Amino acid sequence: MSALDFLSPSRSAPETLASPLARALAGAPEGVRDLSLDGKVEVRGDLGRVELEAGDELVRLTPGRGLLLTENTLEAIDGLRENGLLAYDMTGALAGLAFEGETLLRRLTDLDPGALPTAGGFARVSAVVVRDDGARFRAYFAQELGHYVAEVVLDLLAGLDNA
Amino acid sequence: MRLPPQPGELIDRSETLRFRLGESELEGFRGDTIGSALFANGRRVFSRSFKYHRPRGLLCCSGHCPNCMMTVDGVPNVRVCVEPLREGAVVTPQNVVGRLDMDFLSVVDKVGGPFTPVGFYYRTMIRPRRMWPLYERFLRGVAGLGRLDPHAGHSRRYDVEHRHARVLVVGGGQAGRAAALAAATAGPGVVLVDEGSRLCGHDLPGVEELALATALGIWEGNLVPVDCGTVLYRYRAERIVVATGAVEQPLVFPGNDLAGVMLPEGARRLARDFSLQPGSRAVVVAADEHGLESADVLRESGVAVPRVVDLREGGHELEAHGRRGQVRRVSVGGDSVDCDLLVVSGGLQPAYALLAEAGARVEYDESRGIFVPTELPDGIEAVGSVTGEGLERIVAAPAYEGRGKCFVCVCEDVTTKDVKRAISEGFDSIELAKRYTTVTMGPCQGKLCQLPSIRLYAKERQVYEASIGSTTARPPWAPVELGLLAGRHLEPTRRTSIHFRHEELGARMMWAGPWKRPYAYGEKPEGEVHAVHDSLGVIDVSTLGKLLVEGPEAADLLERLYPNRFADLKPGRIRYAVLTSDGGRIMDDGTVARLADDLYYVTTTSTGADAVTAWFEWWNAVWGYDAEIVNVTGALAALNLAGPLAREALQRLTEADLGPDAFRYLDAKHVDVAGVPCLALRIGFVGELGYELHFPSAAGEYLWDRLVAEGARPFGLEPQRVLRLEKGHVIVGQDTDSESNLLSSGMSWLPKMDKDDFVGKFALEHFAEREERERLVGFTMEENVVPPEGAQIVVDGWPSGRVTSARRSEQVGAVIGLAWLPPDRAEAGTRVEIRVDRRLLGARVTHGSFYDPAGERMRA
Amino acid sequence: MSFLLPCPHCGPRPVDEFAYFGEVTRRPKASPTLRELTDYVYFRDNVAGPQREWWQHRDGCGEWFLAERDTRTNDVLSVSLPGPSRPE
Repeated sequence: MSALDFLSPSRSAPETLASPLARALAGAPEGVRDLSLDGKVEVRGDLGRVELEAGDELVRLTPGRGLLLTENTLEAIDGLRENGLLAYDMTGALAGLAFEGETLLRRLTDLDPGALPTAGGFARVSAVVVRDDGARFRAYFAQELGHYVAEVVLDLLAGLDNA
Repeated sequence: MRLPPQPGELIDRSETLRFRLGESELEGFRGDTIGSALFANGRRVFSRSFKYHRPRGLLCCSGHCPNCMMTVDGVPNVRVCVEPLREGAVVTPQNVVGRLDMDFLSVVDKVGGPFTPVGFYYRTMIRPRRMWPLYERFLRGVAGLGRLDPHAGHSRRYDVEHRHARVLVVGGGQAGRAAALAAATAGPGVVLVDEGSRLCGHDLPGVEELALATALGIWEGNLVPVDCGTVLYRYRAERIVVATGAVEQPLVFPGNDLAGVMLPEGARRLARDFSLQPGSRAVVVAADEHGLESADVLRESGVAVPRVVDLREGGHELEAHGRRGQVRRVSVGGDSVDCDLLVVSGGLQPAYALLAEAGARVEYDESRGIFVPTELPDGIEAVGSVTGEGLERIVAAPAYEGRGKCFVCVCEDVTTKDVKRAISEGFDSIELAKRYTTVTMGPCQGKLCQLPSIRLYAKERQVYEASIGSTTARPPWAPVELGLLAGRHLEPTRRTSIHFRHEELGARMMWAGPWKRPYAYGEKPEGEVHAVHDSLGVIDVSTLGKLLVEGPEAADLLERLYPNRFADLKPGRIRYAVLTSDGGRIMDDGTVARLADDLYYVTTTSTGADAVTAWFEWWNAVWGYDAEIVNVTGALAALNLAGPLAREALQRLTEADLGPDAFRYLDAKHVDVAGVPCLALRIGFVGELGYELHFPSAAGEYLWDRLVAEGARPFGLEPQRVLRLEKGHVIVGQDTDSESNLLSSGMSWLPKMDKDDFVGKFALEHFAEREERERLVGFTMEENVVPPEGAQIVVDGWPSGRVTSARRSEQVGAVIGLAWLPPDRAEAGTRVEIRVDRRLLGARVTHGSFYDPAGERMRA
Repeated sequence: MSFLLPCPHCGPRPVDEFAYFGEVTRRPKASPTLRELTDYVYFRDNVAGPQREWWQHRDGCGEWFLAERDTRTNDVLSVSLPGPSRPE
């Protein structure tokens, strides 16, 4: 039991957990997926010392700060701390959405699609935006703003459908 | 009269569209504008002028002048000369009492002149001053543009889209197209925009073309918003090429505003684009080759042109005469010629506005008599006639004298007489004269009147145009709908992970900074207050700011930031903390818990979280302590469980020992509650036995449900405010403001002045040496009246303090509150007077808590 | 205001992605006079020209950095990461 267990959803039984986007995305069209319960770790320290497992993804924000996307947050955190880095379970701190369409992206943010992944302004809030391939994107943003962001994404999609 | 089909016409004669003007049903073709369709149906008067209600007809056919502004489908101020015709359109005239052909308000033109010279509202309508609201209402009724119908239900969706371009070319004429093609040879990312429809049908390889796309201006960082009707494209471009061309200028002469007086482009578009004969008998008066070419265009469409005057051959007299507002005869060079169309051209003025906005200098070019842009900033280029290239010297007179009104600005009905009068009244700079006469301030925004008015000004003041300069160019280039600029309504709203439980319980939700929080769950917040005192309540405090500070120098960082001492805080213990600024003022308050030697957990007020995080991070950027600051506000939900039954209820959900000795007041413990890992803090903001649980936000609803099932009654912000007030607890930002210092707020016990340094120490040292000006204390009202926030404390008839919080407390049995008082009135028991609704009500100063002063209940 | 500010990590971004923290000031070392303290707390140079100031890339990487910006034109002349200025 570590002093930071109270941060980790992984330390709580699965039936106790709910996504902050559950209500906003009820009935959402295909192509919009909820990533809120996916594992995310805030990493501080020399990012050169980060060892990635298969399936992990590290978004480097500064040379000393990164966001690690991983399925095994608790193991990842232990490993990072053993390597002399600091690591914090942000799984619950950040809500996440996957969506499709470059036009939709450009109505959400003026980040250059060619310069992803990066952190920047997104629907008037801060988000880490990742490009998967072609026109598929993921965005991670503060969970307390999650419902608002999801509503914006769905609204903009509706505008594109009607065009 | 519609001419036979010709190549290049924009109309599609196979499709007829029906529309209405007032009560009349009319027809036009697909491809017509509403203006050309009205013209085809014989309409020559399109509007009544702003002030004098003079009949006005088509002048430019390019969307520059105000003459064709009408209301279309309820939308006012539509320039019908460029508005595409659509089936079922309902068109109505504006600024008319009566009909377009007979406007009762044209009496202003006939007899109002002496009463309405330039600046008349400072003369005719200046006294008595109290009548001004009446005069203003009258004026608004008789002058103006279109009217917005408050009952017209209009709804339109506007979107904003961000785009990048390597090269953005503004203007799809010859020069613009050539520049776009040239840029495309160097690679992709070339965009060409044009405000009209001439790009339709063109296809430039490697260039993305946008027609009916108006570039509104150039902003810092090469930002160019482009108006495409219902989508605003916010372009960021590495390079911008401005190819906006030049605008035809009218001539200034008596009768120059009659219907039937047109600019060359007006005649050309009617004849070539819409196959309409612009008149039957025309006179052409031009100052350049470009204008003289109109004569050919007119003859090709069957118009008789008995007289063509080339002003380059010498100055002439020029006067137009009309009947019922339409031109019938022109006097020029000693002759009088009958005509129903007068095409005039005063040269071309570069449309430099975008370049000026980007930072270019605008200079008067003596050799050509026009204003041209120079000294373009990096990243901006200009091509084509906007640079002045290819434009002839203007030789027309600034104004031709004669009887009859001579308009310098048709938008605002400013005549040459008005400009002369302004000069004689001392408005000797162009910026002053502009504001006094309102020339260039109308719908055309100077496109047709900036140059003519400056030339007139120069002549009247006998100075050079170059010394007058031009007025500041400002965006937007063309009118833009406010809805488009607003885009979608994006209002970032923060909700806790338990938000929807509050809504489901019917709580009244309110804004608390950027968060939505429950005010109370029922009509009577007092019931929730009772629950906390008598049994058990639970409140969602997930909005609290939460920070982790970890590292070998975490303690040093906190010691230096806070007036409190933290180095001696033992792991597992909590301390109340107040953050001070370098000025010794209270910035925020909260708790600091030590979780391990190198790990601290800091809470802040809900609305202060962002500011406190920034404050911590900034100071550490300056000092460079080996410590990481991590904002975990959203990672954790927090619930405060409070009431005499708190221990028993919580014990049912956890195996941890919650006994009073095992879990003391101000302890911080890791406990599992109903399977959820929590950090439990025993603190007492609401004055009863309580545990504040901090746990993963994703488990918010689950743990809330479990606690409510154990009998905890939800309570909201309002009951919480009453409870804390009963304990005399200060709320930073409510009871303190940006100037409140630690010492006078009743917290002189808090700062450890023996520390070497902390933010605020120097100021507190100075405050300690000075006399206090005011003190924050509690009070109890004599009567059962709640003074409002800000109510004045009155001492010897003078305002001497103010109330910051006040509530009725059923528990205490009185109205209680906090207030700032002068120190000599702040002793316990002193009677003061508070001004409420013009009455002076008595109150007694109370120190400490109003309820459970020894704090036994919260330390149980 | 729509100028681009070059974040040392993320590159040029619109200024509204950032939080501004004012011109660089020099905090008095110890026991300043009232005048020195007041100057530090309340007065600023407020130059019309190049100014050294603090920025945070609030919506982006979160980094705190220094910029030299011409307050008349919003041209950013340089950006740099701070070095710690702790005494001792």
